[in-house]
Amino acid sequence: MEALLVPSLAKIDRIIQETPDVRTYRLKFKDDSISEKFSWQPGQFVEFSLLGSGECTFCISSSATRKGYFDCSIKRAGVVTADIHTDLEEGDDVGIRGPYGNWFPLDDIKGKNLLFVGGGIGLAPLRSLIQYCIDNRGDYKDFTILYGARTSADLCYKEEIEEWKKNTSIKVVLTIDKPEETWKDNVGVVPKILEEVVKPEIANTKVITCGPPIMIKYTLQSLDRLGFAPKDVITTLEMKMQCGLGKCGRCNIGSTYICKDGPVFTYEQLKALPDEF
Amino acid sequence: MSFSTFVTDKDGLQKLYEAIISKHETYAPVEKFGKYDYKKVSSLKECDPDSPIAMTMSVKPLFFPRASKIMKYEATSAGTSIHETGQDQLSGPRVILGVKHCDARGLQVLEAVNKWDYIDSDFLNRRANTVIFSKRCDKADTQCFCTSLDYDLENLDALDVAVVSGPGGKVYLQARTEKGENFLKENLGKESAAGSQQALDEMKKQYEAFAASFRLKMDYKDVNEKMSKRFDSTAYEEATRNCVSCNTCAFICPTCHCFKISDEKIKDTGVRYKSYDSCNNVYFTLEAGGHNPRPAKYRRWRQRSMHKFVYYKERFGVNLCVGCGHCAISCPVNISIFEVVNHVAAAPMEV
Repeated sequence: MEALLVPSLAKIDRIIQETPDVRTYRLKFKDDSISEKFSWQPGQFVEFSLLGSGECTFCISSSATRKGYFDCSIKRAGVVTADIHTDLEEGDDVGIRGPYGNWFPLDDIKGKNLLFVGGGIGLAPLRSLIQYCIDNRGDYKDFTILYGARTSADLCYKEEIEEWKKNTSIKVVLTIDKPEETWKDNVGVVPKILEEVVKPEIANTKVITCGPPIMIKYTLQSLDRLGFAPKDVITTLEMKMQCGLGKCGRCNIGSTYICKDGPVFTYEQLKALPDEF
Repeated sequence: MSFSTFVTDKDGLQKLYEAIISKHETYAPVEKFGKYDYKKVSSLKECDPDSPIAMTMSVKPLFFPRASKIMKYEATSAGTSIHETGQDQLSGPRVILGVKHCDARGLQVLEAVNKWDYIDSDFLNRRANTVIFSKRCDKADTQCFCTSLDYDLENLDALDVAVVSGPGGKVYLQARTEKGENFLKENLGKESAAGSQQALDEMKKQYEAFAASFRLKMDYKDVNEKMSKRFDSTAYEEATRNCVSCNTCAFICPTCHCFKISDEKIKDTGVRYKSYDSCNNVYFTLEAGGHNPRPAKYRRWRQRSMHKFVYYKERFGVNLCVGCGHCAISCPVNISIFEVVNHVAAAPMEV
């Protein structure tokens, strides 16, 4: 067991300040043979160590279709993430274990319209799938991204969003909670914009959503009202995890191990779990 | 597969134990201040393989240590390096004498979680390298309820050698696994093998008297079904109000297996540990952003109770609680999981 918990060293290639409290760490394994073997599917996560501070669970926010690196987008929230933001610089080493967990149901979404609904740092796991789908654009029909944050400064991946906007095969809808002088896009919370502006087509559409718990709660209600079947709504859970191996018991909800059976679930599967997330 | 039974007497058993202790790394119940724990021993005088009461500690720490090193590391301005601590080097079989059936069953139950998907080879190696001699209890202690929970005397292969005392000072040593069989043959020779049926009959006879001595009995199937339908019951809150969240119950439980990973770093060098944790701990599920899926004590107790009596069975087909009563005996505020789950099962259905 203990051997499975030993991370491999990776070097921070680049740090991108996404928002005042979110940074993306672009990582490369120091050992090339590990880099070659390391492959992941959109939705999977890694255990990220800042040696001396501790280990945290982060999703991989880039797609394996973009070769040579992987990204973790980290919001400053607790003790370890504060240390990560304060102590780590480009060129520093971190420990990585993974990838762990299941992934977005790539076969189920093939040939469908895709509607991504993200809020705040919740765009991180979606970004991995968005990049994957852009790199396999021919496999999908309509492609819509609805993304919101509290303020314009809190929007992650601003440069990449500009690229998505330029891509004529993708519809990008942005929103912030309150009006700002220079803001020309939508104003209002994500579920409201979903119902009033996006007005998605129901038939043949898969919704992939992630965001803060409060946004998820109202977004699921909106999707219900719009007529989406729970099996067509896919989300990814954020539970506290530690081992990632289905052993330490931290992420148990009922008899489900979120780190092994998840973190990706359909709304239909979530409804069958005890309300403990 | 049937295995041999060896017949000896009390003196023969003592001699065998002494021979084992002199040849192998041996653990046995050791008494201190009226409490019993499995400790490493170097002579039979130090221990009591025939300990009369329920153990205070379970045998679990010998397979799943309280804290173990995952790795050491150095992080300096010159770079970072990680040094794996590696697996334990087990030389030849180690032996544990006087293991209670509940403790041995705990190990059997734990195999499921350690074997699914990622394999905990440390746990399995320690199991494979250990020969377990049982101590069958003569009667139940006040908090024991093992016979209510899937106790199957005939198919109890969690122990390698069952030690059964028979009439006229006879002692039967019944091998219950291939490992136990080989170990007995090596240490006793072949000539004394006999009496397999007598041993079993004697065990059954003694089991009846033992089973009749239980103060606590439950209809497990009924409790399991009723708990599944009472997730939202207020009974959890009523039954666990006094809990001080000390986590003693989890640390001494033969089947609690939750752990945490933590770092200790002084200057440039550090160690990462894996150590016991518990779902009764308020920080167990607390997320960095402040959200906690189980913020209230009764919710953590519900998780503990449901995991023991419903979830693990659902997932791995075997009940996690083995009814040893360790937790109730050591609880500072006298909470018994037996009482908690029965209280919930007897509570009215929520409307």
